[in-house]
Amino acid sequence: MNSVAPNSFLLLAQTARKIRETRGSNAKIKICSTYLRSLENSDDLKLAAQFLGEGAFSDLSGKRASVGSRTYSILAAEICEIDYEKVFKPCKTAVGSSSETIEKLLTNIPAARKKWSPKNLTLKEIETIFDQLYDVSSRADKQEILKKAWLKMSPLEVKFFLRILGRGSLRIGFESKSIVSAIAKAFNHKTGDVRHVHMLTGSIGETAILAKKDSLQEATFQLFQPISFMLASPIESRSVDNYEEYVAEEKFDGMRCQIHIQNEKVMIFSRDLNDITHSFPEVVSYFSEKELPKIVLDGEICVYKDETILPFQLLQKRMGLKKPSKKILQKYPTLLISYDILFFDGKPVFELTLTERRKLLSQLSSEFNFPITTQKAVEDKDQIDEYFETALAHGNEGLMLKHKKSTYEYGQRKKSWLKVKKPGGSLDTVMMYAHAGSGKRGGTYSDFTLGISVRDDERYEEEFIPIGKAYGGYTNEELKKLNARIKEITVEKYGPTLGLLPDIVIELEFDDIQINKRTKANYTLRFPRFKAIRWGLSPDDADTLKDVEQLYKNKIDQERLKQNKNPSFEIKDLKD
Amino acid sequence: MLKVKKAGNHGILLPQLKIGLDYSGPKADHIFVSHGHADHIPWKAKGAVYATPPTSKFMAFRGVKYEVNDLPFGKTVKTNNAQITFFPAGHILGSAMTFVESDLGNVLYSGDYRTPPSPATEGFKLPDARIDSFITEATFSLPVYRWADYGKLKADITEFARSALEDDYTPIFLAYNLGKAQEIMHLLKDLGHPVQIHGAGFKLCSVYEEEGFNLGSYETYDRNTCAGKILICPSSALNNGFASNVKKKRIAYCSGWATMESRRTQLTVDKLIPLSDHLDFFELIELCKKIQPKKTYITHTPNPEVVKHYLDEAGLLSEYLDSKST
Repeated sequence: MNSVAPNSFLLLAQTARKIRETRGSNAKIKICSTYLRSLENSDDLKLAAQFLGEGAFSDLSGKRASVGSRTYSILAAEICEIDYEKVFKPCKTAVGSSSETIEKLLTNIPAARKKWSPKNLTLKEIETIFDQLYDVSSRADKQEILKKAWLKMSPLEVKFFLRILGRGSLRIGFESKSIVSAIAKAFNHKTGDVRHVHMLTGSIGETAILAKKDSLQEATFQLFQPISFMLASPIESRSVDNYEEYVAEEKFDGMRCQIHIQNEKVMIFSRDLNDITHSFPEVVSYFSEKELPKIVLDGEICVYKDETILPFQLLQKRMGLKKPSKKILQKYPTLLISYDILFFDGKPVFELTLTERRKLLSQLSSEFNFPITTQKAVEDKDQIDEYFETALAHGNEGLMLKHKKSTYEYGQRKKSWLKVKKPGGSLDTVMMYAHAGSGKRGGTYSDFTLGISVRDDERYEEEFIPIGKAYGGYTNEELKKLNARIKEITVEKYGPTLGLLPDIVIELEFDDIQINKRTKANYTLRFPRFKAIRWGLSPDDADTLKDVEQLYKNKIDQERLKQNKNPSFEIKDLKD
Repeated sequence: MLKVKKAGNHGILLPQLKIGLDYSGPKADHIFVSHGHADHIPWKAKGAVYATPPTSKFMAFRGVKYEVNDLPFGKTVKTNNAQITFFPAGHILGSAMTFVESDLGNVLYSGDYRTPPSPATEGFKLPDARIDSFITEATFSLPVYRWADYGKLKADITEFARSALEDDYTPIFLAYNLGKAQEIMHLLKDLGHPVQIHGAGFKLCSVYEEEGFNLGSYETYDRNTCAGKILICPSSALNNGFASNVKKKRIAYCSGWATMESRRTQLTVDKLIPLSDHLDFFELIELCKKIQPKKTYITHTPNPEVVKHYLDEAGLLSEYLDSKST
């Protein structure tokens, strides 16, 4: 590894592999920090941190790569001179990862092996390739750029190139939390300080540079630059014994956003720090007409019509639209309901307690007349149940419990914010595939693909099609029993995955149903998990796709309590 | 050409000759067992059963009650319409390819095999004759499987044990009880460090020694004395408390499936060593091209279509042998 240039992409790929092969987060952090320290040039450091922590583009750039796995998989098959359908696809099924499949095929297949010769591309050159990919739109153009680039890389580099491009996890067991720690360790700072700078800058690359230059204090909050969001933990995972230290707010079924305002200038950012200002012109004009002082608010955009908060599924029709039409604006009008304030009177206020921030927010709301969540004092657990019922009646997702003394910090901060949600529903599903478990559950089959029946559905030829994958919700005892049964009904084996005869029926619980055109069923479930193993039922009893469609429809058509009494948010006059 | 039928999960029947290969049913007068892994041993046998001497010893250890006739490599047994010879398959000790010759043509059944062979076997050897029907397993039937050079695998295994011991860690190899475990012991014998092997594998080691394979100094696993030894056990044992009292340990998973990165977290291991006792995809296709059988039957595989596609491209006639074929 010593002969590899520090600013080469190969060294980053090798470091990622080494992190993957090392157990224990401290040991992983050490490898990463040594690597980051080895980068002398600030631009290289910025890119390395960005590639490891964010992806091909900085979160702030607003750029997102759009190279589909089919685009690069077809190209890989072409380079390897193998049939995409007959050879590549079964390989991918067995390996379970396109990027790892491509790495192996480029290594193994002689026809491919002859074509590539690593040229030690630099981080900078990789950045240029990502930019080129961003600039073109046709599949052929993308493939041409990819091909030229790949032939100058080793298969290991290609694997991580794809994972960085995909902006998903690098799958090396190293989360952004660990990268913050690695930066702190590399340049001798406190992890908390680096974390704070990351929240302010919203950029892991900038954070790394400031840490290296020993100028963390230079990071300051700037209006119209988004900061990372504070997130809630599910209440089930935290025990609460001091309810009176919390306040409750209803949890809207909408889209989280941060709005920056200075007089008539307004910008809105989504949770992944994308600029979504243009998608919500009515929100922009609503706030720009108020001539507010410089403020930043945290809140939720919802579809709001006839004094009713409408379901998220309708808001989806607004999301991603760069310039919504008049018709769409009329059909799905949106409202931003604020619940926090991050900047006021020329300075950030996230160091204030929630109570202090709320006071400020209330004052502004009544002075300038914009909606904020109704905040309710909590006395005990019973009261939470009562609030929860009201929230559901409003069509909201549930409740947020917020600790009165908490400051605003990005990420999940233990018990500062807690969410209370209700399962969206359940379905009787058939177990289709079993996947070998990981970590503690290694050696047993603990992840399952569940299907619904399409036997009598003329749109499909199959008997069952997948609706979701579940990893938990069963006891160890039940898992043992499941594994014994699975052994008897296995018909196919694809590496760590078993194909099963339809036999086991699982009652699957989930948070919500959403439309997803990329799946066979056209629907996906949010957070599916086991509710019960229905040993008494047979696959004939499984719910059908038609049932799923009905559940979705019910959700849309659900009666929602109007906001005229006991509302979930407050405002002097909405018509204003 | 002889008819070839799949019978049950692993068995194969040559109905015209009433010969069964790893076969448990009632329709064979003569049954040949390819090797001593449990999934290939007939659980009952109606006809006369033949196996190589090591295989028949493994069968006895696995509790087989019926009588087994020893048929050493190179010796031929004659039935009224066929003659049958075992050829070394290189998979585990005693593993054999079964060569059946008759007036209706010949058949070579590979059983499980590996070429180049495991050094802890009798090697790998093909019959001299032109093969009519080749029945081949294809466990690793995708081009994502290509084994590293054996020298490198051997170095990985030795280095893993050596460096763990040097750092005062106990090295544990997760390896199948029969075959892989003994191959690793055979490779590590020159380190001269004591080995403890899981009880189920321990009793099978004597067969290797009787056949003249040096497995170094080893004993059966003992929880109280295992720390600091080289340990070998199947991956399932780790979940059942194997060496759970040893705090400082490093674990290597030795299997063809170790090719997959996902196995690392599925098993929580430190090192993946893709050492397989089967041949890889490329070796399989090359071997078929070399043998040039009139027809290749593909069996024991999750991806028959991929193998068939490559054999089609090589101009070789092939067919997936599933339970439905005749």
